[in-house]
Amino acid sequence: MNVVITPEMVGQVVISGILSGALYAMVALGLALIFGVMRVINVAHGPLLMLGAYVTYFLFSGLGLNPYLTVPVSMAVMFVVGVILQRTLVFRVVNAPELSSLLLTFGISIALVNLAQLAFTSDLRAIEYLTRSFVVGPFAISGSRFIAFLFAIAVTALAFLFLQRTKLGKAIRATSQSAEVAMVCGIDVSRVHMITFGLGAALAAGGGALIAVVIAIQPEMGQVWTFKSFLVIVLGGAGNYPGALLGGLLLGLVEQLASLFLTTQLSEVVAYLLLVVVLLLRPSGLLSGRQT
Amino acid sequence: MIRAFLATLAGVLVLLAVYPTFGTGYGVRATQQVFMWIVLAGSWNLISGLTGYVSFGHVAFYGIGAYAGAILVTRAGWAWEPAALAGGLAACLLAVLIGYPCLRLKGPYFAIAMLGLNEVLRALVSYFEGLTGGGSGLSLPTLDASVPIYYAMGLTAMLVTLLTYRIVTSRFGLRLMTIREDEVAAEAMGIDTARHKLGAFILSAAGPGIAGALTARDQGYIEPVSVFPLAMTITMIVMALFGGKGTVWGPVLGAAVLFVAQEMLWARFPYLHQLLFGTIIVAVVLLMPRGVLGILQMKYRLPRTI
Repeated sequence: MNVVITPEMVGQVVISGILSGALYAMVALGLALIFGVMRVINVAHGPLLMLGAYVTYFLFSGLGLNPYLTVPVSMAVMFVVGVILQRTLVFRVVNAPELSSLLLTFGISIALVNLAQLAFTSDLRAIEYLTRSFVVGPFAISGSRFIAFLFAIAVTALAFLFLQRTKLGKAIRATSQSAEVAMVCGIDVSRVHMITFGLGAALAAGGGALIAVVIAIQPEMGQVWTFKSFLVIVLGGAGNYPGALLGGLLLGLVEQLASLFLTTQLSEVVAYLLLVVVLLLRPSGLLSGRQT
Repeated sequence: MIRAFLATLAGVLVLLAVYPTFGTGYGVRATQQVFMWIVLAGSWNLISGLTGYVSFGHVAFYGIGAYAGAILVTRAGWAWEPAALAGGLAACLLAVLIGYPCLRLKGPYFAIAMLGLNEVLRALVSYFEGLTGGGSGLSLPTLDASVPIYYAMGLTAMLVTLLTYRIVTSRFGLRLMTIREDEVAAEAMGIDTARHKLGAFILSAAGPGIAGALTARDQGYIEPVSVFPLAMTITMIVMALFGGKGTVWGPVLGAAVLFVAQEMLWARFPYLHQLLFGTIIVAVVLLMPRGVLGILQMKYRLPRTI
């Protein structure tokens, strides 16, 4: 079993690492926003992503819509779901000790997965669209992954523009820096919490919608994304929004390189070791300092 | 009051000790499961209830104990009693290895690191197929020892509860609770917080390790997915929380009540049990974060050592 690793193979995995890394960054940015603003670790992030994937699937298979056109629809639907969840349950554990938010969102998470199993069954469902790959020089690139990458970049850029430029975005960043000072400045903090949770859910749903075109979906697809998003925001520094981008790309690259040099099964282990090392050396993430 | 409590306790213990002679097969098995949950919830309580460090992957110790025990039984031909102790030891070793770096992490970071540990162990166990049988699992030779294992599990549950009592009433326990209330202050008072946290962490790993090895022997078959489920961590946490975290008898009460509740729900609503379990979790977190005993301690001034 002596496989020679050529530079082309390394290039290939670096490309796929960057492609999936952008998606990780986008999904994890949602988690980072929720954690940064509310100090809530959202274990239900993956199941929200799963619901977003199903919205896209049903719009595609039921109405015959182009799956990429459904991405904003799916994000909008899940924004509303996120706002409702925040308004009914999550607001009670804002700034509570982490045990409360972990358990509450875990409860939401298994309830959502169970509901999805009842409503959609556990069958694998795939969107047959853009299944071809194209070749650039020595590298093959999957069409659907590449478009997912472009969408992820665009959505993430829009999210940053929103956070930097709009009044609401500034209110969100202010609240994540200090809820009390934000309140004193006249920011409606509970409204910011609601919108932030909606945005976080929308970013997860966008990821889910894009993944639905790449791989077959099923109700339990979300859990692994929860874990990956955790890794990303810890690598980048929780509550540090540019850090989520760096963390996402890093996780994508590490996973792909580990599966090339070791095996796919161990890529999670390598990612975890990376997490522990980063936490020990830089407990506040790679981009430390609270520059939100 | 105390005398009545001790008399009731002795009565319950005697009843449980003679129960296998007249109980049904299902009853004995279910009681053994309650013992297991007492071990798990009580052990989680030792680290998380007392120090406030939320171990969100405590089932990792159960899983490692199950695999250590099962490997010793199948590959080395050990009897189940020493294999169970070895399972506990393996879990303690893992606790040293993981606790040393990870207990320096604060709050949510520790929780996420523990969650990750569980995922990673599952991946590792699947990877080392030669030793663990990989994803297809590991079958143990058949053995009819369900009654001795019932007693072993019951004894482990008693020891974990006794240990909790000894810790809560000791200086060691007071120091742990000081860390929970304010770690910086604890350090300023001269408590070696790193050593105390690690000590509590190791003690909290032993019980799940033994319980894992005993359950593996009893069921005769283990696989990565069945011994490292996140849901099991959550169940033990919710049990400890329901009874009252940081108390001696809270995890016992929570394990007994919620196990019975879960058995009834599973049988009646096979398709909805996840949804119902989710609802129970949300209800416990929102409505009674202090737990039954915590509330009673506040209202009726029950002693701290209950």
